Amino acid sequence: MAALPRRIIKETQRLMQEPVPGISAVPDDSNARYFHVIVTGPEDSPFEGGLFKLELFLPEDYPMSAPKVRFITKIYHPNIDRLGRICLDILKDKWSPALQIRTVLLSIQALLSAPNPDDPLANDVAELWKVNESEAIRNAKEWTRKYAMDN
Amino acid sequence: MSQNERVQEELEALEAILMDDISIIYNDQGCAELVKSTIFPSTANEVEKQYVCVTLEVQLPENYPDCKPLIKLKSPRGLDDSTVDHLYREIDKKCEEYIGQAVIYELIELIRENLTESNLPTCQCAVCLYGFSEGDCFTKTQCFHYFHNYCLAKHLIVTEKHYHEEQEKLPAWKRSTEGFQATCPVCREPISCDVHDLRSSLPPKELENAQKFELTHELKLLQENMQKLFSYQKSKGGIIDIEAEENKLLLITNSSDDPSDENSDDPGPSIPTNITEGSLENGLLKNQRCFNRFTNNR
Repeated sequence: MAALPRRIIKETQRLMQEPVPGISAVPDDSNARYFHVIVTGPEDSPFEGGLFKLELFLPEDYPMSAPKVRFITKIYHPNIDRLGRICLDILKDKWSPALQIRTVLLSIQALLSAPNPDDPLANDVAELWKVNESEAIRNAKEWTRKYAMDN
Repeated sequence: MSQNERVQEELEALEAILMDDISIIYNDQGCAELVKSTIFPSTANEVEKQYVCVTLEVQLPENYPDCKPLIKLKSPRGLDDSTVDHLYREIDKKCEEYIGQAVIYELIELIRENLTESNLPTCQCAVCLYGFSEGDCFTKTQCFHYFHNYCLAKHLIVTEKHYHEEQEKLPAWKRSTEGFQATCPVCREPISCDVHDLRSSLPPKELENAQKFELTHELKLLQENMQKLFSYQKSKGGIIDIEAEENKLLLITNSSDDPSDENSDDPGPSIPTNITEGSLENGLLKNQRCFNRFTNNR
């Protein structure tokens, strides 16, 4: 593997020196392009109180192409599927090299505050979110309590 | 002279000097509330040599000029936070000194002098995150964002390539007739640049002197905590089991058959080659292998 680009080093250092509240991202011991991430569920969202583990991988041509991000902790959300894949435009066609690991993770945290069932990735969840929002929110809270807690 | 007359006189003078470069916003009672002006360094009208700018907003409280106005500096371009903070401190001193007198023109001059002195972008290139050093070739976009030529060229080449790949996937009737439009990485405004010209520039200087990466004690601790959380959530059944979920969905798992795998000739990004089996005992390795395909597959 080629040497780690300076930009990745710089981002990693900044993530440590000026951490984003509610988000931590740590590079893996043996692969500095692979980050272990924890995003806390935003206040006043059904995910409040949850600690969600994600994995983030910076591809070879990062920052020219988007990082690959996936939830590892189960989450009940219309834009995140059962495999933890995330439907978010900046991870696809709206990627820009001016975005960073921190801004991507902030966007994901914002997605938790603002689920968008009209652009679903998890169809059954989105369906319920549209026809019976309060039940969907109950499910999301239940999943958060059951799966996304620390001991 | 009444207070209102004093303010009126100051504003009329400003309009006479600055003409279109200043805008004054009045409230419902016809009193001036806000004065706005975008300030550039003096470069003898050579616009292409202006590398920085900032918009000054002066809010006039009722008893101005007998008290300090409220100052905001908006849309700083080419200026980093410490430069903007320094400007705020200078402005505050000036306002203090001019209590009871017209100060707005003084502020504009003060800012212009400062910008003229530091008419070199002090911000970082948004692509490589390093600054601009003497001798670096850089580009100022029409929207006043800065990039090393080397970095901007990379961005333009990749986005143009992606654009054509996406177009080819579409049926003919859905394809765009307008062609590729380059956009600014920061604000997505359309930009026009000559890629061939840009790509001949050398990489930024600071890149070469950048520090090496080292895993600190702090990082180690964070890693341990994350590992604990992972194990706990796993014991509660809270971790997505990729294999089980795949079987439920009846996905085809042979990634070499996957036509959407854009890196099929380069397995590097999706499989971190230097992770050995068992180095991550929690199944992350398995997840990582599938990772590339998962995110491409939508």
